[in-house]
Amino acid sequence: MLMRAPVCSWSRSLTAMLFFAWVALWVAPAQAQLRLDITQGVRDAVPIAVVPFGGQAEGGPTDVAAVVANDLLLSGRFKPLERRDMVTRPTTGAAIRFEDWRLLRSDFIVVGRVEPDAVGLAVTFELFNVQTGQPLLSQRLTTTDRGLRATAHRIADLVFERLTGIPGAFATRIAYVTVDGRPPKQRYRLVVADADGYAPRTVTESSEPLMSPAWAPDGQSLAYVSFEGKASAVYVQRLATGERRRVSARLGINGAPAWSPDGRKLALTLSRDGNLDIHVLDLATQGLTRLTTDGAIDTEPEWSRDGSSLYFTSDRAGSAQVYRIAAAVGQDAQRLTFTNGYNARPRVSPDGQSLAIVTLDRGAYRIASFDLKTRNVHVLTDGRQDEAPSFAPNGAAIIYATRAGARGTLAMVSSDGRFQQRLSSDTGDVREPVWSPYPASQR
Amino acid sequence: MSRRLSDRARHWLGSAVLHVAFVVVLAVAAYNWRSDPPPEQLAIEGDVVRYEDLPPSVRAGKPLRETVPPVERPPEPQPRDTPTPEPKLEPAPESPPVDDAAQKQADALELEQERLAAERLAEEQVAAERQRAKDAEARQQKEAEALAASRRAAEEAAAQRKAEEAKQQEALAAKAREAEQAKAAREAKLRSEREAALQKELESEEEGEAFARSGIVDEYKAMLTQTIERNWIKPPSARAGLQCTLHVTQAPGGTVIDVKIGECNGDQAVRESVANAVYRSSPLPAPRDPRAFARQLVMVFKPTE
Repeated sequence: MLMRAPVCSWSRSLTAMLFFAWVALWVAPAQAQLRLDITQGVRDAVPIAVVPFGGQAEGGPTDVAAVVANDLLLSGRFKPLERRDMVTRPTTGAAIRFEDWRLLRSDFIVVGRVEPDAVGLAVTFELFNVQTGQPLLSQRLTTTDRGLRATAHRIADLVFERLTGIPGAFATRIAYVTVDGRPPKQRYRLVVADADGYAPRTVTESSEPLMSPAWAPDGQSLAYVSFEGKASAVYVQRLATGERRRVSARLGINGAPAWSPDGRKLALTLSRDGNLDIHVLDLATQGLTRLTTDGAIDTEPEWSRDGSSLYFTSDRAGSAQVYRIAAAVGQDAQRLTFTNGYNARPRVSPDGQSLAIVTLDRGAYRIASFDLKTRNVHVLTDGRQDEAPSFAPNGAAIIYATRAGARGTLAMVSSDGRFQQRLSSDTGDVREPVWSPYPASQR
Repeated sequence: MSRRLSDRARHWLGSAVLHVAFVVVLAVAAYNWRSDPPPEQLAIEGDVVRYEDLPPSVRAGKPLRETVPPVERPPEPQPRDTPTPEPKLEPAPESPPVDDAAQKQADALELEQERLAAERLAEEQVAAERQRAKDAEARQQKEAEALAASRRAAEEAAAQRKAEEAKQQEALAAKAREAEQAKAAREAKLRSEREAALQKELESEEEGEAFARSGIVDEYKAMLTQTIERNWIKPPSARAGLQCTLHVTQAPGGTVIDVKIGECNGDQAVRESVANAVYRSSPLPAPRDPRAFARQLVMVFKPTE
């Protein structure tokens, strides 16, 4: 009892104090508090400073910071600070004077350095929030001189993922077709380049048209249509060895190859029965299954993510619309798109929730996203003749072909349509871009 | 305290008993001497029984019975010197007068010697008595001193203990008093703060109404909202259905001091974007009327698309 009495009174007085403190806390600021509702934002890219990395001579073969900054710029979501605006060039987090970068209106900053390592090179980088000075990311990656560019893409991936919550897709590649010269002396090339357009290399070339490249799910092979020999045929070519195989050269049109998710089958558009229909070719057995039998044109097949069905374009209703059909014999196709007079070339998003399509929007062909659940069409681009959309493997962006004057060129749009940009091409006509899957190391 | 009191009482009682005893002795002695008064003896006896001459131990009371008896037993003069034999002598006038005179002289001498012997004896007795009394006195003195010393020591120890206890108690009491005062002060402060806050709230409610009528607060809110919206780079993940509450503290100049993210159903990109939107807007615009200024701002980010 003697012990309890003071405890009781102590706790009682504490309770009282807490109560008064609570009252004081809530009553006093109540009068000096304003409530604001923020419903709008801007669609600007986020300003970020990627400071030149230490240990690298300016103008060297692989400028890591430049590669990172360019990747972030290409994503459309970031606006890297121009180097000439950088007052200081810290290479470690400890050397950053955040107030300087706040004045430069940067929200984030990346610093780093390249150092010789026992096996080759070690690249260390750090990411900070400039406004708060908070460190967000810090990593050390080992690489070699040759791998330095890939390491830079990896850094861009990590920064992008930390700031957007979406894995970066900068260490990926794109395939596309270029056309040089004028008819009748034209040169078609199938080209594979890094996703930032760096290091393009020709996979195959022909004086006859090359069309419809498609990445195998493992990223090791490309299927494509070639008119070499005056008739269309579908080829599969391994990129590492250049070895290629003609998988379909049937009478009529052999076109629009699409890989099944397991990489064992190709969906094709064939006209061997006098009408363009969707078929499935088993690559191992060469067995062919005809899926559509409608008298109209059925083309541009695309597998669903689980491989159970296919999306395709058909004009069976009078105009081109997108349909879905189960990947089995004797099934009926289901029409998916109804808005607009033209919806074609479906490409499924990595999460399987939506399709990128080409739609006729107010007299122009544009890239749109089609929500498979709500069936809403959301137009993403504003060109006149945009075509051939292809999702980045992280689903954040869509690469597509557009026209710049008489020339075809490539462009990118974020999957929500907020960021768009043209990709400059130095030569000729560029068409039919396709984004590769993640490299094996990232899958 | 009671012990000390009883000690003193005992002392008083002792001395009172002693006094009474002396009075009794004196009375008895006086009676004896009056009934049978040898004047010379009286002088001797007077010396012995004088109160002032009594040793302190005797005066203290206890050995009273030991010391008093000798006083009570003075050497009684023999009836020989009484004149009673005279009639017997008178009827014999035949005895020669010289013989009679010699006889008388011898008798006187003998008497004188007897008296001296008695005197000596008495003196010796008194001396012995004095010695005894002295010894007893010394012994008792010692005992008393020892007793007193131990009592003193005990008393001192007790006193010290008491002093220490008192000191401790005082310290405890002081502490308790201090705590009490501090608590009272705290509570008073809180009370006054609360009252002030309530008062302020009342005032501000009135003022706030006036402000609201004048539209200055609305204007200020619109300015702030516009500034934040211009600086909010909406990440793709910020869609309809997002709701993110920020608690923002600004300094009087509009400088953003603190941003705390409250309830927020957005992802990391959203959280960073909303916080940075506020920091990017720093310094926030000032109201037309400084009374509309609010240190604390609650911002609710809820995009409509």
